[in-house]
Amino acid sequence: MEKVLIIGGGAGGIILANSLDLDQYDVTVVDKEAEHYYQPWYLYVAFKGSKRKISRPISKLLKPGIRFVKDTVKEIDLDNRKVYGSYEVTYSYDHIIVATGTSPDPNVIPGLNNVYNQVGDFHSNLENSRKLWNSLRNFNGGNIAFGMASPVCKCPPSPIEGVLLLEEYLSKKGLKSKTRITYFTPYPRAYPAEPMNRIVEPIMRERGIEVIPFFDLDMVDTENKKLKSIEGDELNYDLPIIIPPCKGTKIKFRQDVKDEDGFIKADKYTMRIKGYDDAYAVGDVNNLPTSKTGVTAHLEAKVVANLIQGVYDKFTGRINCPFDMGHGKATFVIGDYENPVVEYPPSRTKHFMKMTMARIYWLTLKGYMDPLFDFYFEYTNPKKLNEKYNKSNPPKASSQPQ
Amino acid sequence: MEKLVDSRGSACPGPITDLSKAYRNSQVGDIIVLWATDQGVKADAQAWAKRTGNEIMEIKEEPDKIVIKIRINKR
Repeated sequence: MEKVLIIGGGAGGIILANSLDLDQYDVTVVDKEAEHYYQPWYLYVAFKGSKRKISRPISKLLKPGIRFVKDTVKEIDLDNRKVYGSYEVTYSYDHIIVATGTSPDPNVIPGLNNVYNQVGDFHSNLENSRKLWNSLRNFNGGNIAFGMASPVCKCPPSPIEGVLLLEEYLSKKGLKSKTRITYFTPYPRAYPAEPMNRIVEPIMRERGIEVIPFFDLDMVDTENKKLKSIEGDELNYDLPIIIPPCKGTKIKFRQDVKDEDGFIKADKYTMRIKGYDDAYAVGDVNNLPTSKTGVTAHLEAKVVANLIQGVYDKFTGRINCPFDMGHGKATFVIGDYENPVVEYPPSRTKHFMKMTMARIYWLTLKGYMDPLFDFYFEYTNPKKLNEKYNKSNPPKASSQPQ
Repeated sequence: MEKLVDSRGSACPGPITDLSKAYRNSQVGDIIVLWATDQGVKADAQAWAKRTGNEIMEIKEEPDKIVIKIRINKR
């Protein structure tokens, strides 16, 4: 039996393990944690105080027959197919998949660690999301500087989802008139992909959120309560809500396969680690030119499962990021390598879909929802949606296979 | 040092996010060569260079991509 070793028990790792034929493959999943968290819900913990249980043991999410090992992988030698864990444990494999996600790195920006530890954030973990909810409950008005520090990696809609849910919270609490919300971003506009920005910026303006583009955070001056940017601008705050920069994997590779931020260089269609046909990087940890979200990890995992099992397949770059606009409405960011992001209008139905997705997530990991997703992805094909919604701004360039 | 940033096919978050990331890891005197397929990158890169005080050396349309060469003058 061929051995498949999956490093990481996030969405990508679990979906991949559960998609393999266990009569043909001996599958092991290794993760440094025993629990898997539904990360998109951090948003609702931080801005709505949700107490929903959002974790499950990884071992319970894997199909019977898949081995789970709680261990910290230290080093990988791709040439000799050897993986080194803690306490001199080594693993061998015929196919390896690295799916370790990203981790926050607030130390990159001077002063940010204080904000990270005192105020919290809604990207890193459950504890920090609860911390942010407590910070909000103690807030009684003033300047809120809300934004992200680059390199930003996970989930492009989530910074704006956060600021829109913050505005909803302040409105409901009667604090809106006493608060100035400033949204800063290193990009030229609130949402980096222009078609979606055409939807988002008017909503932000209407809700009184000031957008400061080209503000790439360089340092936090906690003494004077100021943010400073690489461009030389300053922003005062009473409450800073800042998504920390994130980095790829800390695992050491004996071969040169990582970029300077720790992301693994992989082929954008097959997720194969550059130079290897038995090694893959799936989900947030790879350097593919697409969004780092659960849905891309899901789709990449399905492609890799097919490739390992000898079935031709290729990842299209498809994204489908649920985007909460606050006040009960949502949209989805949809696009792929060949088609730009759709200017997809928000609605209450889409918000219901986002909430339903959160409920069925655990079934999704086991593959029970695959027929529903196959139908959904075809129904929301980016090419078809672009023809319907982006009539005034059709795509002008198309990408070519490498 | 010349650094190639391949952002072809990036629909979201888009090539400007890759450029911004490369800038953070660069030094004065570096050249960033950005490959993209998204047409909006031309205007975005120009606005970005103007705001950050860096220099667009060349914008070239090739059959399969747009190539933008940027010299880092300020960091």
